[in-house]
Amino acid sequence: MTNDLGKISDSLIKGNVDELKELVQQSLDADAPPADLLNKGLLPGMEAVGRKWKEGEMFMPEVLRCAKAMSGAMEILRPRLAKEDLGSAGKMVIGTVAGDLHDIGKDLAAMMFEGAGYEVINIGIDQPNESFIKAAIEHKPTLLGMSALLTTTMPRMGEVINSLKEAGIRDKMAVIIGGAPVTKEFADEIGADIYAPNAGTAVELAKEYYQSKV
Amino acid sequence: MKINQTVNKSTKFRVLSDDQIEEIYYSALEVVERTGGVIYHDGALELFKNSNAIVEGNRVRIPATMVEEALKFYPRKITLRGRNGKRSLHLQKDMVAFGTGSDLPFTHDRVTGERRRTTYKDVSDAARLVDALSNYDFHMSHGIVGDAPNPQTYDRHQFLSMVEQCTKPMVITSVDGEGLEDIWKMGCLIQGGEDEFRLNPLFVVYIEPISPLKNDSTAVEKLLFAAEKKIPAMYTPCPSSGATAPATIAGMLVQSLAETLVAIVMCHLKNPGTPLIMGGVTTLLDMRKSTYSYGAPELSLASAANTDISKWLNLLMFSTGGCTDAKVLDEQAASEQMMNLFYSYLSGANLIHDVGYIDHGTTASLESLVLNQEMIGMVMQFGKGINTDDEHLALELIEKQGPGGEYVTTDHTYNHWKEWFMPELQDRSDYETWVKNGSKTMGDRVREKTDHLLATHHPPPLEEKLHQELRKICKDADKRHM
Repeated sequence: MTNDLGKISDSLIKGNVDELKELVQQSLDADAPPADLLNKGLLPGMEAVGRKWKEGEMFMPEVLRCAKAMSGAMEILRPRLAKEDLGSAGKMVIGTVAGDLHDIGKDLAAMMFEGAGYEVINIGIDQPNESFIKAAIEHKPTLLGMSALLTTTMPRMGEVINSLKEAGIRDKMAVIIGGAPVTKEFADEIGADIYAPNAGTAVELAKEYYQSKV
Repeated sequence: MKINQTVNKSTKFRVLSDDQIEEIYYSALEVVERTGGVIYHDGALELFKNSNAIVEGNRVRIPATMVEEALKFYPRKITLRGRNGKRSLHLQKDMVAFGTGSDLPFTHDRVTGERRRTTYKDVSDAARLVDALSNYDFHMSHGIVGDAPNPQTYDRHQFLSMVEQCTKPMVITSVDGEGLEDIWKMGCLIQGGEDEFRLNPLFVVYIEPISPLKNDSTAVEKLLFAAEKKIPAMYTPCPSSGATAPATIAGMLVQSLAETLVAIVMCHLKNPGTPLIMGGVTTLLDMRKSTYSYGAPELSLASAANTDISKWLNLLMFSTGGCTDAKVLDEQAASEQMMNLFYSYLSGANLIHDVGYIDHGTTASLESLVLNQEMIGMVMQFGKGINTDDEHLALELIEKQGPGGEYVTTDHTYNHWKEWFMPELQDRSDYETWVKNGSKTMGDRVREKTDHLLATHHPPPLEEKLHQELRKICKDADKRHM
């Protein structure tokens, strides 16, 4: 069993999308506890990837391949996990605000969160404020992510936060924002919880935020 | 099936057309026949007297036919072997190698920030850095050993410090013919004898005439010794346009080539088949500061043109890049060094030297060597050109990902992004990350990397017996010159 968990970690670190799915399925078929597969197999693997990424030993295409492998494994594993097994790896709604058609930054962040075990609902680009609220009510995420690449669309992020307050669900989730013109000061101004200067560090910053809340 | 296709495997760059090169070459022949050169060396004058040249006093005029005959005997390929045993330096058309310059009297002190005399230790440290930095293919001393027992024998000590700390092939300098002989003997000991040295030379010896058209006795004595022993050598005119050469680049190139052609004939008369390399530090005299400029754009232009000429003549080329007039490693340094690195590389010169020079060829800077490592990497990336085969055109991929798609997670990206240049010192992070990591400038990062390399890189030492023999040659020279 321990051996299989090691294999799962290794396969994940190597970014072997198909092999990892097979390994997880085989372990489940052999009655391995799903929580162990997540906590002792996948998450340690992803932590190693995060560490290598941070230290400059791994690069975006490699990390995203690992994230894809993680996401594939989680699709198989998630239905078998109890809610409490999921721990910090929660649910995220993410999108680009109205008037903005840029999606690569937001998509990269989404992939990184999927890689960290999050269930990510990517609502896409050019999303009116109501779509964020609707998705927040429907999916009950623990994290809401917004991105803007244009200074002209940045103010929409503050409006969404206000709408969350009006809907009475602002305190149900943390709000993370990013995008080239966005700054920490702006994030504080509009009352966002987390500011990520780039897609690569978003997951780590979210983790730090949750840890500071415990 | 397509026909008539041409593919540029690399970026292409050229300054002069064939017709322009011919113009310069014929002009240089005219100078050699009509103006000639002066030579202050009896042995060399004797060689010319016994030939079809005309010798009047020290003045030698050479018929074009002698030049054209001699030109046929020069090598189009020389391969050097470092003491690491690797035949790593292949000098042949359009193969480019980067290396340091030599003999800078001053050093920018990394601790005090002041300029002071260069020492044995500085030369050792430079050699160690060049050994560590992958984009340097050959080593010149960078600094001059200013604390040797006797200035007349410093060159042996300098060479010793170089081979102690650097395992790569070299370009060396010597005080005179006797110095060159000692260093050549040291080189033969390292390579395993005279014959081995001839087939696997450890170094090329740098020699220079005095522009305009003057050949002093020590330069000629070194040149003739190199010819006798078939030691690879370059005879490098260093004309300053407007002072020791015409103020026009074309005129400077003509004169510089005439100076080279005199040496070509001289070596041929001494020993046909001398592995002589064409050279040239072709730049201008700054008319406000009266300095010989290492950062002028004209240096880049004239050097690249000179390389065009060398290729047309089937000669190997020793050129110049990575150098600056700036007194410290500042914005001027980076911009000038980048420019002359760039064009010397694109021109296809074989040995690009003076990389890391600051203060118009007066001051050594270890940090400048480290900065240039990164810049050479950038320049070489540009030289790679663009592959346009089906895999690289990526039509299937563009169709598959479609409008609004992404490429970052595709196998194609995974397979190809490593073809990109990977900076080691340039900062490409976002502002917040940069601040979080200490708001470091390029200068800060260069300093850190220099510290790190000096603290950690130690090339394998010379074998003890060999080391003793090398030291003995230095000591014997010191004794002779007491």
